[in-house]
Amino acid sequence: MRKRLLYEISKPVIAAVGVENVLRAIVESITLGTEAKGCSLLLLNPEGDKLYHRVSYGISPEYVNKGLIEVDENVRQVLSGKAVFIRDVAHDPRVQYPEAARKEGIASILSIPMRSYGGIKGIMRIYTSEPRDFSEEEIDFLDSIAELSGLVLEKEEEHDRLAHEAERVRGELRRLSEDRERFLQFIRMVAHDLKAPLAAVQSYIKVILRGSVGPVTEKQRTWLERSVKRIDNMLQMISDIVDLSKLEAGLIAPELETVSWNRVLENCVEVARGLADPKGVRLVVEIDPDLPEIFGSEIRLCQLVNNLVSNAVRYTPEGKRIFIRAFQDPDRVTVYVEDEGCGIRPEILPKIFDDFFKGDPEAQEGTGLGLSICKRIVEMLHGRIWAESPAPGRDIGTRVTFAIPKGAVCDLAYRERRKEDES
Amino acid sequence: MAAKILVIDDDPDIVDALFALLEGEGYEVHSASDGEEGLARIRELNPDLVILDLLMPRLDGYGVCKTLQDPRWAKWKEIPIIVLTSVSEEASQRRYELETGVRMDVDDYIEKPIDPDVVLDRVRKALARRGI
Repeated sequence: MRKRLLYEISKPVIAAVGVENVLRAIVESITLGTEAKGCSLLLLNPEGDKLYHRVSYGISPEYVNKGLIEVDENVRQVLSGKAVFIRDVAHDPRVQYPEAARKEGIASILSIPMRSYGGIKGIMRIYTSEPRDFSEEEIDFLDSIAELSGLVLEKEEEHDRLAHEAERVRGELRRLSEDRERFLQFIRMVAHDLKAPLAAVQSYIKVILRGSVGPVTEKQRTWLERSVKRIDNMLQMISDIVDLSKLEAGLIAPELETVSWNRVLENCVEVARGLADPKGVRLVVEIDPDLPEIFGSEIRLCQLVNNLVSNAVRYTPEGKRIFIRAFQDPDRVTVYVEDEGCGIRPEILPKIFDDFFKGDPEAQEGTGLGLSICKRIVEMLHGRIWAESPAPGRDIGTRVTFAIPKGAVCDLAYRERRKEDES
Repeated sequence: MAAKILVIDDDPDIVDALFALLEGEGYEVHSASDGEEGLARIRELNPDLVILDLLMPRLDGYGVCKTLQDPRWAKWKEIPIIVLTSVSEEASQRRYELETGVRMDVDDYIEKPIDPDVVLDRVRKALARRGI
């Protein structure tokens, strides 16, 4: 019997997909395998004082819906781990619904505990239409099957719990991302409100410096000029923060279009001359005249190169050179800006793309955001940016290079991609 | 006769700074603190040049530009406009148009904070284009 029953049970159980189908396959094949009338799995309610039908085979819906089963002395016995057999349902006082059982034509009921890791989940009941006995061996075997059912149910609970947890986490993520959007928006608002008064003050100072409201003494001129520099730096920092929050929030979508690399770089060279000439820094430009087009933001690409150039100019003394080179290979466009300035200490090279990182924390110039903005722009275009010393071992010069794949399409959700890459 | 310049900006300090600068150069300067007042002053004064802030209460700079395109304002349509923006990037004109979707028919842009030499240069050029 055992072998046949195992066969009856395992075949559909293995074929069944999903907990519901596995449970159905179990009750059905137990019924068929034991030649019983039906079989059902009864589960304990969360309070642990009643049993309800989880899945049944061979018995009518009326019987299933007869009502909950109280956890009485008899049921408790099963729940404590011991199989209970009621041979004569019609005359046994332990039966809770004798009338329903009679109508259903149930002669005897075998109750077996359904064990699992977490304790007893409920009971498995096998109903017969004729009074009959079950051998020790049969009960033993059914006991294992009941345990199997218990494990399936436990898995289902676990699955539900995980699904519930996943839903909760998804909600939490949604909330965090909304909070983040709101925060980025708040930053942009604050930045704008900070900018207006600074711009007004700066305008006054510049008009005063021009002498439009009367003569300015040498001392006043010196201090006002320093004030202008300090305010310029603050204004730059504010606009960097705004840009950063725009890049983070993916708000540059309207800027995207097909852009000519050559046009971008020509503009940048013009800006670079404006920065380098007054400082007496020589600009050496080598740009492949046949660079392809790219789908991106012209504003951001210019910003990328301009930031690199403005760093280079800042750290390059008079008479030295800055190189801007752009070339292509079959799959990417590479641009680098190299200077003959004081160089970057090798130990801080990996950090220079971090937000607010400054090589010299005391320096008044620079916001510490320029390179981190560059990094974001490059990553949005699926590219890579890095810094190195063009003459390793000697403290001369810095070269910052970025390479962007040809045909790259600007990815506003690059932050998510970056996180996935990291994980 | 000195050229007549109308400054429309809700920031009184920017207005004061421009006043000092432009009056110092001998221009006749007037001001308005929002777009609606600005339009009224344009009718009243018929200025040679308008310096226009973009973000203002009541009627903003875009609204002023749009109104001036209306046929009823044909008489003042040709007045050159220099827009004052608080965007400090080079590509500010393009950027504004991208951000707002409004293509503005203006003569020039000046960024805040104002740089006296830049302002005077742009003012002279805009007036010269009008033959003033």
